[in-house]
Amino acid sequence: MKIHDLDGLHDARRTGMMKILPGKPRIGVGLGTCGIGNGARDVFDAIKDALKRCGVDAQLTKLGCFGFCAAEPLVNIHLPGFPLIVLGRVRPQDALAIVESIAAGQPPLDKAICRIDEWDHLTGHVMYGRGFADLPHWDEIAFFKGQKKIVLRNCGLINPEDIEEYIAVGGYHALYQAMQKPGVGEIIEEVKKSKLRGRGGAGYPTGVKWDLLRKAGSGLQDGQKYIICNADEGDPGAYMNRNEIESDPHMLIEGMLIGAFAMGASEGIVYLRAEYPLAVERLKHALAEARQFGLVGEHILGTDFNFDIKLVEGAGAFVCGEETAMIASLEGHAGRPRPRPPFPAQKGLWGMPTNINNVETWCNIPVIIERGGSWFAQTGTASSSGTKVFSLVGKVVNTGLVELPLGTQLKTMIYEIGQGGQGAPDGKRVKAVQSGGPSGGCIPASSFDVAIDYESLLQLGAIMGSGGMVVMDEDNCMVDVARYFLEFTHAESCGKCIPCRAGLDQALTLLNKISAGKASDADVELLEELVPMIREMSLCGLGQSAPNPVLTTLRHFRREYDEHLRAHRCRAGVCDSLFLSPCENSCPLHMRIPLFLELTRSGQIAQAAELIWLDNPLPGSTGRICQHPCESQCRRAHVDAPVNMREVHRFIADQVFAGALLGEIKARLARRRLPSSGKRVAIVGAGPSGLSAAFYLALFGHQVTVFEAREAAGGMLRYSLPQYRLPRAMLRQEIDVIESLGVAFRFGQKLGAGVSLDVLEADNDAVFLATGTWSAASAGVPGEESPGVWHAIDFLEQVARDQPTTIGKRVVVIGGGNAAVDSARTALRAGCAVTIAYRRERQDMPAIAEEVRDAEMEGVKLMFLVAPQRVVCDQRGRVTGIELMRTRLGDYTLDGRRRPVSTGDTFVVDCDNLILAIGERPDVEPLRRCGIHVRENGTAAADWVTYETNRQRVFAGGDLVTGASNVSSTMATGKDAARAIDAILCGEDRLAQVLGAFAVAQRVALEPEGGARNSSPELAVLQRRTSDAEVLLGLTPEMAHAESRRCLRCDVRDPAAAKG
Amino acid sequence: MIAAQSKPLAEEIIDEVIARHPERTGDVLAILEEIQQLHPLKYLPPETHEFVAQKMGVARSQLMSVITFYAFFNLKPQGRHTVTVCRGTACHTRGSKQLLDGLKAAAGFRDDDDEVGSECGAATSFTTPDCQLTIRTVACFGQCALAPVAAIDHEIYGHVSDLRLRKLVAAIDADTGAAP
Repeated sequence: MKIHDLDGLHDARRTGMMKILPGKPRIGVGLGTCGIGNGARDVFDAIKDALKRCGVDAQLTKLGCFGFCAAEPLVNIHLPGFPLIVLGRVRPQDALAIVESIAAGQPPLDKAICRIDEWDHLTGHVMYGRGFADLPHWDEIAFFKGQKKIVLRNCGLINPEDIEEYIAVGGYHALYQAMQKPGVGEIIEEVKKSKLRGRGGAGYPTGVKWDLLRKAGSGLQDGQKYIICNADEGDPGAYMNRNEIESDPHMLIEGMLIGAFAMGASEGIVYLRAEYPLAVERLKHALAEARQFGLVGEHILGTDFNFDIKLVEGAGAFVCGEETAMIASLEGHAGRPRPRPPFPAQKGLWGMPTNINNVETWCNIPVIIERGGSWFAQTGTASSSGTKVFSLVGKVVNTGLVELPLGTQLKTMIYEIGQGGQGAPDGKRVKAVQSGGPSGGCIPASSFDVAIDYESLLQLGAIMGSGGMVVMDEDNCMVDVARYFLEFTHAESCGKCIPCRAGLDQALTLLNKISAGKASDADVELLEELVPMIREMSLCGLGQSAPNPVLTTLRHFRREYDEHLRAHRCRAGVCDSLFLSPCENSCPLHMRIPLFLELTRSGQIAQAAELIWLDNPLPGSTGRICQHPCESQCRRAHVDAPVNMREVHRFIADQVFAGALLGEIKARLARRRLPSSGKRVAIVGAGPSGLSAAFYLALFGHQVTVFEAREAAGGMLRYSLPQYRLPRAMLRQEIDVIESLGVAFRFGQKLGAGVSLDVLEADNDAVFLATGTWSAASAGVPGEESPGVWHAIDFLEQVARDQPTTIGKRVVVIGGGNAAVDSARTALRAGCAVTIAYRRERQDMPAIAEEVRDAEMEGVKLMFLVAPQRVVCDQRGRVTGIELMRTRLGDYTLDGRRRPVSTGDTFVVDCDNLILAIGERPDVEPLRRCGIHVRENGTAAADWVTYETNRQRVFAGGDLVTGASNVSSTMATGKDAARAIDAILCGEDRLAQVLGAFAVAQRVALEPEGGARNSSPELAVLQRRTSDAEVLLGLTPEMAHAESRRCLRCDVRDPAAAKG
Repeated sequence: MIAAQSKPLAEEIIDEVIARHPERTGDVLAILEEIQQLHPLKYLPPETHEFVAQKMGVARSQLMSVITFYAFFNLKPQGRHTVTVCRGTACHTRGSKQLLDGLKAAAGFRDDDDEVGSECGAATSFTTPDCQLTIRTVACFGQCALAPVAAIDHEIYGHVSDLRLRKLVAAIDADTGAAP
């Protein structure tokens, strides 16, 4: 069995190739840990069973992992003469169909994700066959496109438990070649020439390191030398080493053999973490095979070269990844590092010269020897050669192991390969990637054009590390991420040096304080002073790099820290001491949603209504038109669908307006009003923001006057929202409630015209400006001033004023926001044929998805990927059409969306009217004249927590400050500004006093209740085309009650206590 | 029954384990790992420390230093069944903290019940008084693509929700007839 020479190797190679191409069907099941975790063992057994039952003569084999974790379990099918077919997401119940198809001589294509015609193992080559041109080749599908498999050259294609298959694809030939070289110096020269750098993270040149050990031996007489493989892959979020060992253990063994030969070591150790039982098992098996074949042990390949490899299982200590700690651990001590020098190459294991390399570094060696160092250096960049395997996980669709040439851009990996931020169920915007585990840093999406190499990542404060890439989106809090990693390094600190042991403890205390919303600016300053000290003064890499997650999040996500500090908010909904429940946290108005749902469930409608009003003074309007961000984090979505919170509070509001409750609610709110303060506040603008501010300021006991340019209150709700979405009579009732608290309205008063800021300031203790965004943005399209071209905001106002609009028969709307959809549906009701032309795709439309769906149902035509070029006019200059350019999706931009690029293909859509719904801007001129600072983007400058402007006691909010937003966000600025104004006028934060406490049952059902999601019945589509009657009819009492029962009560923090 | 099971391992068994590891590199870890795995309650009782130290010629203080340093070694009896919640980064970004908290609450543990590392999430372990169930965490299973991940007696479950995990745990409770 032992191989003594090249002939022996060739014999084994032939035997092995007979296994890979057995001349009959071969079925391989990916049995890495990931595959097994996804049920691959059951698939293997089911196929075995089916083969037996069908009497099909085929070879069934174990494979390693091909890297596409998201598509596990993977099954490879090869029929002689055909390409290898890779099937994805195979379930045991698919086994029979697969086997029957094979029996019929046809590879099963149902679950095929790609084909492989031939494979370059780099040390060998396998030709499978041609055919199935319709099926993409493996390197044509998104996940593999751009990947280059050098380390993973054999993974998922050969049986990791069969040494002959490894030899068949050229395995151990590099060892033979290395041993044939005239001097070991030449081996090291090749490694130097390859410019390979350590793949464990630090990136030290491997060849240089090897040379050190080789020379270290030269002075010793028969001195023992050791080489160690660092397989203590402790970085959470990284698992490439596990997969490399599980899928192709012999490449590691061969790499170590070549290293041992070159450096003159006679003993090797693989320090492998015990959390990887399958890797332990496969490596043990591979070592036994290699001994049997005379490739490990004494007289390797019939020569005098002796070398053995011992496997040691780590016992769960992250710091043992540090080389001196690992040596201490191998010597039977606690794994604490010691200062260097002496370096392990001088004085390592048992005091002898020792070389330590990471798994992946060793795995590159056989290819470098087989193909040459200069061949290897062709891949990657000048200073970072070759490829790196990354574990791409977190908020991406295509999770898996990705091997890329160094120098590839991050956005290629995250957006193109990973499809980050795309697809259900998440579909949220990617915010950052965490590279390099606890020693690495967070890179913001705005830097995703960075090349992945050692130096570029370092510049951003991150490191390549072992290659863990954890993608994070809007649901991840960066303060929490920093805290999470510090918790980890703090727990894993060995305790030997004080900067790391005590410093990390202090840093963690500070971060805990920040995430609890209890920190001050001084705490952050202290943190900023402390962490560089830990970095500079710690003994080993653990302490030196532990501050990286804190430093990078502080550097790139300072705003999130500030939100925790100043606003006591965790936007992502992670730091749970800062909010009641995920829905409350996502609601800009912070409505106490679980509480009103519980009150609704228990039939306490008046209390529910009071609570709703206190949190949101326009519950009927928001109940109809809010974008409902509350649903985006509803946990019920994981069971079936999010709770329809918006329509429950609309139901309660409608109940109030329908009957006797209205008087009671007004009375209840009046009772909540704090004693009169004698202070006066003026509000300019009676839109949702001004109305909210007025409501809360009145509750605080101040005398409030609202000045409004138009002749009625409501702002956009009154003058822009179509009646079929928001009936005017209902809005009027809502405003009446606000008025009942003593708020005075003065209409026809325009800032800078009827009313002057100086006068308002003189007459009042504070002024709040919320004049909104009433100027249409230009589309920049030639001819947009032509007669027949409307701006959406003007068109909608004309309709809202019941004025005739003289709209033609055919209308094109340009845009994709709510104003575009409102305009389209309004025009449709005026009897027009309407087309919406949008420059991106449907999922990119900012409009509420349900509104888009309704528009389409009603007969609005939607055109995507078209960009307006020019307005086409007749001789009199009147619109007759719009010229559009077809676009296609090009490169990914840094926001994770693909840029529409022109195709050059233009066409004209005829129309009588064109409505431009490109966006709205505030009119800031009157403010500028009053000396209020205006930002570059044309919005008023105000503090983002208090909304105070540069003029003392003059506040500004709403869309005027944020730019065009949505109803709940704009109301929230009014609410927050009112709170800040009151705090200044009365010297304390009194919001909690006004909101009050509501005692509700702390009950959590053991099983989800309430059944499927209830949605409001809708007006029949046929009736909609000729009327502006409301489309959403509202939940019935039964539906509202059932919906309230669907809440999982995330606000109840101790379900164990609540149960009893 | 628990008292009977928590007896130290027989000395002959320990002798056999030590004899299997003649080489000194990595022997301390390997021997302790094997001995712990052979114990029905997966832990290293004090009598065993004494015996192993003596047999191996290692100071007991050094052995204690090793046992207390590595997360793998347990100084207290472990439950017959173990649920391990992965606290790796990918799992954390997909809500493993909530999974752990929910599971602990369901099993009747409070935050202050931590046996190990009271203020850090990286190394925690909770065992029910009847030694039926241990809830612990692991720094990372390396199963990140399946996040969030939990293991019940070494069987890995991917993409777990808190409801599903609680059901799985209830099922093992039912198997053993132990109180949930």
